Amino acid sequence: MTTWVDTSCIITVFLALIILSNYRVTAMIRIFALQSFVLSLLPFFLHAYSLSGRDIFIVIVTMVLKAALAPSILFWAIRHVSMRSEIKPILGFGSSIILGVILIAGAFWVSSSLKLPGGKPASDLILPCSLSTVLLGFMIMVTRTRAVTQVLGYLILENGIFLFAVSLFDVMPVLIEMGILLDIFVAVFIMAIVVNHINEEFEKDLASVSRSKMGETF
Amino acid sequence: MLSILILMPFLSALGVLLPVSKAFRLKLFLVISLFYGLIVASFWKHLPAGEYHGFIVLDPLGLIMLSIIGFLYLSVSIFMMGYFNHEQRSTRIFMACLMLLLSTMTLASVSYHLGLLWVAIEATTLFSAPLICFHRNQQSLQATWRYLLICSVGIALALMGTFFLAIAAHEVHTLLLPSLLKGASSLSVDWLKLSIIFFVVGYGCKMGLAPTHSWKPEAYGQAPGMVGVIMAGALAQCSFLGLLRISQICNKTGLADFYSSILIVSGLLSLVVPALFILGEKNIKRAFAYSSIEHMGLLVLGLGMGAVGLYGALFHMINNALAKVIMFLTAGSVAQKYGSTRTDEVTGVIHIYPVTGVLLIAAFLAGIGIFPFATFHSELLILNAAIISRHFLLAAVGVSCLAVMFIGIGKIVLGMIHGKPKEPLIAKKENFYMNMAIAMAVVLLAGIGLWMPGALKHLISDAVLLTGAV
Amino acid sequence: MMFIVFSILSHWLIVLALSPLFAGIIAKIKAFFAGKKGPSYFQLYFDLRRLFMKNCVYSRSTTWVFRFAPIVNLAAVLVLSLIIPLGSFKAPVHFSGDILLAAYVLGLARFFMIIAALDTSSSFEGMGASREAFFSCLSEMVLFMNFITLAFLTHSISLSTMIGADIPMSWKMAGTVLLLVVGSLFIVLLTENSRIPVDDPDTHLELTMIHEVMLLDHSGVDLGFMLYASAIKLFIFAGILVPIVYPVQTGIPLLDTLIFLGGMLGLSIVIGVVESTMARLRLNRVRNLLLIAFALAFFGFVVKMWKG
Repeated sequence: MTTWVDTSCIITVFLALIILSNYRVTAMIRIFALQSFVLSLLPFFLHAYSLSGRDIFIVIVTMVLKAALAPSILFWAIRHVSMRSEIKPILGFGSSIILGVILIAGAFWVSSSLKLPGGKPASDLILPCSLSTVLLGFMIMVTRTRAVTQVLGYLILENGIFLFAVSLFDVMPVLIEMGILLDIFVAVFIMAIVVNHINEEFEKDLASVSRSKMGETF
Repeated sequence: MLSILILMPFLSALGVLLPVSKAFRLKLFLVISLFYGLIVASFWKHLPAGEYHGFIVLDPLGLIMLSIIGFLYLSVSIFMMGYFNHEQRSTRIFMACLMLLLSTMTLASVSYHLGLLWVAIEATTLFSAPLICFHRNQQSLQATWRYLLICSVGIALALMGTFFLAIAAHEVHTLLLPSLLKGASSLSVDWLKLSIIFFVVGYGCKMGLAPTHSWKPEAYGQAPGMVGVIMAGALAQCSFLGLLRISQICNKTGLADFYSSILIVSGLLSLVVPALFILGEKNIKRAFAYSSIEHMGLLVLGLGMGAVGLYGALFHMINNALAKVIMFLTAGSVAQKYGSTRTDEVTGVIHIYPVTGVLLIAAFLAGIGIFPFATFHSELLILNAAIISRHFLLAAVGVSCLAVMFIGIGKIVLGMIHGKPKEPLIAKKENFYMNMAIAMAVVLLAGIGLWMPGALKHLISDAVLLTGAV
Repeated sequence: MMFIVFSILSHWLIVLALSPLFAGIIAKIKAFFAGKKGPSYFQLYFDLRRLFMKNCVYSRSTTWVFRFAPIVNLAAVLVLSLIIPLGSFKAPVHFSGDILLAAYVLGLARFFMIIAALDTSSSFEGMGASREAFFSCLSEMVLFMNFITLAFLTHSISLSTMIGADIPMSWKMAGTVLLLVVGSLFIVLLTENSRIPVDDPDTHLELTMIHEVMLLDHSGVDLGFMLYASAIKLFIFAGILVPIVYPVQTGIPLLDTLIFLGGMLGLSIVIGVVESTMARLRLNRVRNLLLIAFALAFFGFVVKMWKG
């Protein structure tokens, strides 16, 4: 099963790289949904020979929350804000790809000096891939100016942390996993509402409409 | 007993959400705060037992925090009785979030499991966000957004720190503090160092340490005064509690020097950065936010200076909280009276509202650390610790930054107090409740500054012993 | 000595005989997706026979370069075919570092095609030549990145070893790396051989042509040479990709060759399907696609270095 785990990690990082270079919001959300789907299958791959009820529960809950609920809330948010793509991307396509690839190489380099204690983990690639995803998610947040895409960057950062958490612990306190899921759910919910309200404010306050566009933060 | 303390505000939050009258909500809030304060006062006599298999335990550090929270909520509840006479907005969500914040901050103060601590602080972030955008305008929504974004990233980094700690403690198999301390020799040093870095960045982000401080001026500038008090006085110090718990582990595992060097760098940055920005500031709430960043820097600096500095830092926790009560409640009072917090729109306060003017001066003196307010003593203790440990340059930089803050805040406060009086928005009558709440804190802070009660001394010494600092 | 001559001749025989069939299969699949019956599988053979019987017509504005280019093109591609192993037929030319020879022979062919196009002093050719040069810059970078990763995987810089015997073990040990390399090489294949989504080989509009422009002015035998060279180049690139994907080495020559041919058939079907289901990308999107291919290859390299 190591190959499946490895492949899932690689796909996660690569999809994060694609999102970094992409500036069309609907495409970004769809790729994020795909990435979350691949990630949610990870407990299944890790414990393929000794599936417990807890693993199945985590797979289902993660799939529903991250691959179905979060993207749909984001789509709802952009419909309300009537957003299209970023008007002026901060980094062009080529620069984003080069930057992303450098970040991935950096994450791998940092991970090479970290040794995981306590037995061999399920796969070698989990630590560097999770660090790469965290870095890429952070970079996505930094290079975006719209609220919804910043949330997306944060969600990808959370995906990286989830990759780390799920893969490295067999005996992890349930609390933290629930914390992750709670975090994602509430964060997306609140952020969607805040984004929505940002839009509503603009409709009421006519004086500021000329100054700033809908759904834009600075 | 402890679970009652946590559940009581949680349930009252549900009560506040019911369609009751504003007066009822305010009274409920006051009653809950009084109960809370009474229970915490009883803990001073006798610490309660731990619950839930040692997940929730009250120790001296936690008791300091609970006392701070209790007093802050008491003064806020009295202040709100006067503040909401003139506010037209619905207070339902506001009060519910305040109650939920009380519940989660209590949980953070008494959690002995580092994962539970993270969950509690995470919850405080989420519940404090709606409080900032109470006045629903564009700037406050943007400030809320910025706060949510930056603090969520900080929380995520703190979560990674928790994971790294769990890896470091893979032989101990749990994140309960006593077990971690007992098995300190078996912790993996590399992973522990990594987790310390992530914790400092993550929890420091919530505290408002530079360089992740940029949300503070925005958020405190837009939030109503009561929210500023709770966030600056209690919430930031809850995150500091996280750093304190880490220091307990560090002192046991011999990483105290590594940790203190990181803390000194953070503290120094957090002292210098606000000093750079305060001089051009015209908004009093934002200026107080910079002061909050500075005081957090002092706390972190004190933590990195060994036992003497830690004593000063813990004392400063209390004094800072009281000073923030005075500062932000006064600013909130002025904001409601004049509809603005900027020096070009508010002048001559002392001519129209003499008591508020005097309280503003008290806020300035308390926030900067002028005798007889106790902030003077705690700042002196921390700087003294710096000199004792031969960080002379550090002490010099610290003093100069404090001096710059003095000039900056003084300019704003004195500019507001004197000058040609501008017309206020509401009646030219002093509000009893608002002034009472602030005066309580003034008296308490000055009282501690003049004569430190023995019980307080013992509590802080116990806490210093607990962390095992040298 | 005789063995080498026999090896070279058999290699050329296979390549010359099979590459038009390969192109024909792809055309048939595209027609199937379009709901047509399509040209015969052997259509390219008939076209080549027809072209070889015709005279060439040369424009008055061309020079010797224009007449020379098709010969260089075909010759270079035939030399390239000697470096690639085909099934059980080992490559006649193999030495350490022959990937550089391969890359630069390709470059030589491309160079002459481009200057021949410029030689016609027509603006359409100039436009197409500049596009061809640009995309081949990027694809060469990606190709080299892939070669570096494969070299680290198989510890050699000879093409025969890189796509030869060590690969089955590599799939087990570094499957993810090879996955990334295969993805990247597939995009390079589509670029170098001007397939959709990079370029439409059936377009009639000069404005949309990239590679077709090179063929635009040639006629008769020259055009035959150019078409043959394109088909052989496609065959060779497929021949590089297939052994990496099909890591089966039984040791029985007949079985190996059959597996190789089966793999080529499979790859031709995949190329046909990709060509039929995608639309041609806008030109700046092609640059993005190549950058993604580079990211894939670089990522594969990083993972390989991580795995040790």
